[in-house]
Amino acid sequence: MSKGNTPSTQTRRPDRAALVIAVFLAALAGLIFWDTSRLAQITSYSGIGPATIPFVIASVLLLLAAWTVFEALRGDFPARERQEFGPVIWIIGGLAAQMLTLKPLGFSIATGLLFAATAAGFGKRKLWFTIPIGIVLCLGVWLVFAGLLQLSLPAGPLEHLFW
Amino acid sequence: MTTFDFLLQGMLVAAQPMNLLYALIGVTLGTAVGVLPGIGPALTVALLLPVTYRLDPGGSLIMFAGIYYGGMYGGSTTSILLNTPGESASIVTALEGNKMARKGRGGPALATAAIGSFVAGLIATLGLAFIAPFVVKLALVFGPREYFALMVLAFVTVSSAFGDSTLRGLTSLFIGFALAIIGIDQLTGQARMSFGVPDLLDGIEVTTLAVAMFAIGESLYIAAQGEQGPDKVEAVKGSVWMTAQDWARSWKAWLRGTAIGFPIGAMPAGGAEIGTFLSYATEKRLSKHPEEFGHGAIEGVAGPEAANNASAAGTLVPLLTLGLPTTATAAIMLAGFQQYGLQPGPLLFATNPQLVWGLIASLLIANFMLLVLNLPLVGLWVKLLTIPKPWLYAGILLFATLGTIGANPSVFELGMLLAFGVLGYAMRIFGYPIAPVVVGLILGPLAEQQLRRALAISQGDVTVLFTSPVAAVLLVIAAAALIVPLILRARGRGQVLSQLAANED
Amino acid sequence: MKQFFLASILAGALALPAVAADYTIIAPANPGGGWDQTARSIQSVMQAEGISGNVQVQNVPGAGGTIGLAQFASQSAGNANALIVGGYVMVGAILTNKSPVSLNDVTPIARLTGEYEAIVVPADSPLKSMGDLVEALKKDPGAVSWGGGSAGGTDHIAVGLIAKAAGVDPTKINYIAFSGGGEALAAILGSQVTAGISGYGEFESQIKAGTLRLLAMSSAERIPGIDAPTIKEGGLDVVVQNWRMVAAAPGLTDEQKAAVSADVEKLAKSAGWQETLKTKGWTDTYLAGDAFKEQLAKDVSATETILKDIGLVK
Repeated sequence: MSKGNTPSTQTRRPDRAALVIAVFLAALAGLIFWDTSRLAQITSYSGIGPATIPFVIASVLLLLAAWTVFEALRGDFPARERQEFGPVIWIIGGLAAQMLTLKPLGFSIATGLLFAATAAGFGKRKLWFTIPIGIVLCLGVWLVFAGLLQLSLPAGPLEHLFW
Repeated sequence: MTTFDFLLQGMLVAAQPMNLLYALIGVTLGTAVGVLPGIGPALTVALLLPVTYRLDPGGSLIMFAGIYYGGMYGGSTTSILLNTPGESASIVTALEGNKMARKGRGGPALATAAIGSFVAGLIATLGLAFIAPFVVKLALVFGPREYFALMVLAFVTVSSAFGDSTLRGLTSLFIGFALAIIGIDQLTGQARMSFGVPDLLDGIEVTTLAVAMFAIGESLYIAAQGEQGPDKVEAVKGSVWMTAQDWARSWKAWLRGTAIGFPIGAMPAGGAEIGTFLSYATEKRLSKHPEEFGHGAIEGVAGPEAANNASAAGTLVPLLTLGLPTTATAAIMLAGFQQYGLQPGPLLFATNPQLVWGLIASLLIANFMLLVLNLPLVGLWVKLLTIPKPWLYAGILLFATLGTIGANPSVFELGMLLAFGVLGYAMRIFGYPIAPVVVGLILGPLAEQQLRRALAISQGDVTVLFTSPVAAVLLVIAAAALIVPLILRARGRGQVLSQLAANED
Repeated sequence: MKQFFLASILAGALALPAVAADYTIIAPANPGGGWDQTARSIQSVMQAEGISGNVQVQNVPGAGGTIGLAQFASQSAGNANALIVGGYVMVGAILTNKSPVSLNDVTPIARLTGEYEAIVVPADSPLKSMGDLVEALKKDPGAVSWGGGSAGGTDHIAVGLIAKAAGVDPTKINYIAFSGGGEALAAILGSQVTAGISGYGEFESQIKAGTLRLLAMSSAERIPGIDAPTIKEGGLDVVVQNWRMVAAAPGLTDEQKAAVSADVEKLAKSAGWQETLKTKGWTDTYLAGDAFKEQLAKDVSATETILKDIGLVK
């Protein structure tokens, strides 16, 4: 969705990333129209049914898309900072790893991986060091919040050693 | 016995050393759990309620009050320091509070939040004690059409969080509305925008969206700046404590926040976050330093925090006088009260005065303990910001996901967290403000439901929306709030606005 | 990345058979609601009475309990330590949400408590009796607005049944759904709607204080201590009970099922549970075994019919 790699635009020329945003808004509006149109015939005593407000929202989104195109063509969008994508991928990867390993491996290992990946995103790439640190830290957190305070955090092999 | 005698007696019981200790434990536990992003006061109280069962009724009641206030306050700490609102009522706090923290003014921000919460809690609890029956009559005047008018007013005030571009502010708001459609329609039970995915039937959890957009979006954005990004966050610049000027700018905001938050909290469908929106907008309008808003204005922290806490006490008005639990937190408190043989309802004050006044005294004491616990900790909290970035952000993501997992341990929820985190990041790149998305998700469904209820009751007659005096007054205020700034903007076009550009995140 | 894999392999090797808590109860709702309170009450009574050493409650909120139910059915199959709390609302929600998982996919153990619907009007309403209300409904169904809980829930179903029994087209009822009992109560007290319908507990203190007038109850017979006729007495054959139950996982052996049933019976008969029912104001409607199964089947088919009549299920 993000076309953030566009270099800073100081000059006033059509902003292609902004055009992509307009397309996204229009697509969102289309999705709302498509999904809620099947509810259009349901009305109640109010005269507005479950589809009315979504139709209004979708229509405004279309207007906003048009407005975005207009501003994009005039180059009215603010200048953007240069984005480095390496760190972003590290963090997104960490979140995905946590999501996938949470149930099978438990809270500590899954979140420990996220911890290490985030640290890597910010420049600490020594995974042999950060993964164990993250797991130990998360285990401590797990013991406090799940053990003592009864929060239900998924337990895995590591947690079962303690509880 | 008179009201005062009862209150005095309650205070004497609550102020015994053992009970003070219970209050302190309650506040500490409540803060510890409430500080997790995504875990609001409702879940905090639900989790910790069993802890109180082991005590005698007096001690149990007071620890319960402590947990409640601790849970309420916990959310603002992470909002200010880490730009990660713990729950929907502290989203506004993050707007100015985090800007202050980044300029090394985290100490005063935390202090004004703590003292403001204390002041608001104190006044509102006294309000609960003395004017509850009156306030509740006022609250019952509010039917669907009055609520709809209140929502319209709230929408208008949201525009103060729009930042420099109307287009981008509106776009953010409508993305929030679009997300709000997802789920089962309250009034007809029909699924909208769920595409057969059962996890979407209940819509998008506000806390999930807020945590994702703020905490994860922010972390991604900072990480993407790489080495060239603003490396140093100055933890402390100047005093950790509030200066004389901070006090001067805060106290009126506390009082106004209380005045706004208490009645709105007392309304059965008011909700704490609406009070914070209105308070923020009010402070921005009335401030002598409007140019500081968006860059760390202390009033923008003081007012909403006071409103938040005052509305928490306001929630107790319908709960105690009508037996009406109007929020999830109140519903859990109701369960807690039943444990002490307290049956809230219109007869409560007459049949069970000792317990009611004992509770109110406990709330006052707990509120005081909150201040005792948190003011000395301000210095320590601020040190959090001196942690090197890799560890700090790794920790933020650890606690952000911990909160989400604790509230609902589902893989799908984590997936949404990731998706909205990426959306929040993309929006930051292009200078879209984040807060309106969350606000749209909160207010959109409320406004739609109240409108449809009002029209169903009137059988489709639109004029009812304007014929109630309360609704009419609210709509007039909303219209004024919308039009006046437009005129001012048209006159003073230019310089100030362009200077503010591209700084809203 | 190598370390990553090493760590996961190591962790996988460590995967020991789970030494889980004695019972894990899914409350398929947010904290604070009826199901959550039921689950947490079971938790504390089971622990206090020594029925189980360690009970955990987990909230899986959403869509009238169907999300919790679906998760429970798929993840707990064959696990005799897993329980879920549910109730009548779930029956309707399964139908309106077209949930792929139904109560047939779990093992219902017993009904624990139940509550009857109360029909109320504000104290200053011109409607004095259930007869008046039914008259008004027959004259102009749109002019009678009913305030109650979520669309397709127990309250909505009861209104549909009343309309049907009175010979009024159920699709014509003007039902205003509110989120949660509290908001509906406020609307009724403020005379925003004509009548209100919800569980008796929601209205009890207001009725006693005289701010609401109780017109009728949805029970089969008059309830001791509640001064109101039944809907049935007025000639409309409508009986609705909003019950709550506890169910076990699918795929249990007969021995496992018997063990869970025995524990639940011990719970329901315990002094601690009776005490809890009293403090919470819940009625004991304990029903287990085949009698419960039969009742459940009856409720499901009756609910399906009325939801179709109202037009919520196609």
